[in-house]
Amino acid sequence: MPDQTSNGMRCNEFDLLLSDAIDGALSGAELSRFQAHAQSCEACGPLLADAEAGRGWLKGLTEVEPPANLVTAILASTSGGVDTQRLRVNARDNQPQVSWLERVQASLFGYLEPIWATVRQPRFAMSFGMAFFALSVGLTVAGVKPADLANISLRPTSIKRTYAHTQARVVHYYENIRIVYEVESLARQVKRNVAPAEPGPAKQKDHKNDTTQQPDQPQERNYSQSDTQLILASAPSIAPQGPCFDSCDLPVVPVTTYRRFV
Amino acid sequence: MVLELSVFWLLQAFGPQDQSQVGTVISGELQVEDVQVVAMLVRRCIAGDSAAWEEIVQTYHRRIYNICYRFAGSGDDAQDLTQEVFIKMYRTLPSYDHTKGAFVTWVTTITRNLLVDHFRKTKQDRMTDSIDTVASEHEDAQPLSEQIQDQSAPPDARVRSREVGETVHAALARLSPELREALILRDLQDMDYREIASVLKVPEGTVKSRINRGRAELARLLQRTYRQVM
Repeated sequence: MPDQTSNGMRCNEFDLLLSDAIDGALSGAELSRFQAHAQSCEACGPLLADAEAGRGWLKGLTEVEPPANLVTAILASTSGGVDTQRLRVNARDNQPQVSWLERVQASLFGYLEPIWATVRQPRFAMSFGMAFFALSVGLTVAGVKPADLANISLRPTSIKRTYAHTQARVVHYYENIRIVYEVESLARQVKRNVAPAEPGPAKQKDHKNDTTQQPDQPQERNYSQSDTQLILASAPSIAPQGPCFDSCDLPVVPVTTYRRFV
Repeated sequence: MVLELSVFWLLQAFGPQDQSQVGTVISGELQVEDVQVVAMLVRRCIAGDSAAWEEIVQTYHRRIYNICYRFAGSGDDAQDLTQEVFIKMYRTLPSYDHTKGAFVTWVTTITRNLLVDHFRKTKQDRMTDSIDTVASEHEDAQPLSEQIQDQSAPPDARVRSREVGETVHAALARLSPELREALILRDLQDMDYREIASVLKVPEGTVKSRINRGRAELARLLQRTYRQVM
């Protein structure tokens, strides 16, 4: 609302007096000033007319009749609550004395009852039965007998020995796994192929003066580089000066070494 | 009831006239609320007198239902809200202090607070509804313009008056809740400005301003609708 002065009254003042004017509470000079402002102000005049019209509309509204069962419903939802509360209080007062043990049992039962009710369901019972069956079969296959459990020695030395045995078995088992072995040998081969050639030794051996007959490099002992590696049988007939036995004319036999994988 | 009335007349005859009596006109059997009478009724209720509680329910249920109906716009909602108001009133009855204000103001404050809660809860539902389908108990969700078109048809004045009332009710539901509650308390429940200010917890000047704006807006709304129909 614009705050302008018209006929000695500001619009804010008019707004404050509007309710009283509609209620008929204004009189005398105040009423005259109010009416004069309403006639001269472009904003407040229509506001007065609209407010009077709105009040007229609202006064035309009649009171609505509530539903017939409303009182009954209210009393049922309130007075009923009172009686219940009183009954509850009386019931609490009339309860027999209960020992603390019974109270603990009751509270425990209260906590465990939902769990027990869940466990008792057929599907859970079947799952537990299957798990027990699988465990017992597994132990039987593994050779574990319940009678052996009684013979277990719990002395420290015995426990240490059992631990060492178990560790050795595990290591042995691990090293004999085919895939482990293959991976190790492959890694070794790759390492050997990829490694750059070693620069020559600083001083060359003098073969002429070497009378030790030792090889230049120590021979690498690899017994199983490949499963089908040919190993020549020792054939002393190659050396013409050497002694020749009956086996001189034996053929070269390819020998395939197989490694036993456990 | 006889006891309360006799106490009321005794107090009116010999008691202090300025403080003990609050001139609040309410619909129902109890036309003038007396602080002492109501205080006694409340004390009897707290002591467990079911007859006293029933008397309170009988006296105030119509007023509370009407406030709820005009604010919520639906008869079903009004019934539920009225029950909620009485449940809350019953629980908080011991907290009523007759020295702080009239019982009817206290009851109206409880009603208004529940209405605000209800308004907040149903805000999302209302946003999805069409403006023209404001529900009313006696209408089949007709648009406002159609209601006004129909009102010229029936010759019976009572039917016409009822339909005009429904139109105004529908227009009232389209006002903002602040303006609507102020109008309901002032023009439909005839509460004075001081009591309304106490219920709404705003200054008296704000109450007057809201009432003026609400009346003007309602009139403009109805005039605009009528103009569209014409």
